Amino acid sequence: MSNRVIRIAMIVIATLGLCLTIYLTYVHYSGTPPLCSTTHNTCLKVQTSQYAELAGVPVALIGLLGYIAILGSLLLPESEQTRFATVAFALVGFGFSAYLTYRELFSLHEVCEECVTSAVIMTVIASLSVWRFLRSEALPPDATLDAAGTGADTAVPPLSAAGP
Amino acid sequence: MSPSDTDPTRKERREQARSERKALEAATAAQAARRKRMIQLGSVIGAVVVIIVVILAATSGGSSKSGLAKGKQANAEVATVSSLIKGIPQSANVLGNPKAPVTLKYFGDLECPICKEFTLGALPPLIEKYVRSGKLKIEYLSLETATHEPETFRTQQIAAYAAGKQNLAWYFIELFYHEQGAEDTGYVTENYLQGLAQQVPGINLPNWSAARNDPALAEQVTSDGQLANQHGFTGTPSFLLGKTGGSFTVLENPNLEQPSDFESAINKLLS
Repeated sequence: MSNRVIRIAMIVIATLGLCLTIYLTYVHYSGTPPLCSTTHNTCLKVQTSQYAELAGVPVALIGLLGYIAILGSLLLPESEQTRFATVAFALVGFGFSAYLTYRELFSLHEVCEECVTSAVIMTVIASLSVWRFLRSEALPPDATLDAAGTGADTAVPPLSAAGP
Repeated sequence: MSPSDTDPTRKERREQARSERKALEAATAAQAARRKRMIQLGSVIGAVVVIIVVILAATSGGSSKSGLAKGKQANAEVATVSSLIKGIPQSANVLGNPKAPVTLKYFGDLECPICKEFTLGALPPLIEKYVRSGKLKIEYLSLETATHEPETFRTQQIAAYAAGKQNLAWYFIELFYHEQGAEDTGYVTENYLQGLAQQVPGINLPNWSAARNDPALAEQVTSDGQLANQHGFTGTPSFLLGKTGGSFTVLENPNLEQPSDFESAINKLLS
């Protein structure tokens, strides 16, 4: 799988996560019950629980900021630094998702579908970003090396400007 | 074929040595880069673990680890609970006038933190407005969710029902939620239950201890769980509401901190 394909896949998945957290942040501030397929709206119970905020900040908003950070690092011209930024943001997001899932399963004993979806998205992004970060030396020259092939880290054009 | 035909020229040897040196340099550089990335990745993972541990520690402080209040704090909890339910009729696990026109069945687990939110949030205004005036009675039923050990769950729920033999179950239930310990800390011990029972105003402790061995109470806990399963309840608190003696419907997604959702459903039944 080429670096470009991985990057596009990560952007698409992170955009899904961003949309989901925008919705959850809206639900939090508007007070409307979240969409949930369970009979007793377990999502509502989770999202109005004591763990729905961290230091007064809604966890949905924290997730939204996390996805913005990940997307930002993916849309910047690719370099060693941006790949590292992506993997750092993604791992923080993965850790935070793991914490929230623990709270759902072992403190609240309720599972929120939107939260699980976000946790799955964050896990996929974290896995891909780690893989991309560690294998980047094997990328084709146009992705990681400068034109002279010196191996110096140089930025490749942003994805929007890249050809097929 | 002469040796000069097969032996590389000096220029070729130089080129070969140069390419070998370049390959070696490239391999060394790649190894160094890989090592650097592994160190960076390890640092990030370490930082994430520290962050999560700090968050876990910070968010686990919501309730005291051991639960049971002592001294002045215990007196304050008892005073709060007494001011809420003193003077309201109790019968077994039911709070309120037995002839109240509307009944709320409240499925809870005494270790469930969301039940605590409800007990401290929407419940007190409901008791003041509807139960004290005789319009509503509340029946407490057991559904295991937050308590991970089935035996502990049965023991604690039976302890509450045993207080109900003296029509004091709601004191025990309310005090349990008010003094609920931190989850998964194993705070519900025999000492905890005994200490809580001692706080219940007017309880006869020997009778309470004896009642805990009544097999009917264990059966009641089991049948509560079966009733909850029949309605598809998987979480607590869950609620059934209906006219006393009539059919009950599930109260879907009520706000647990404010009584408004309960009030509108109860008012409909009363009108």
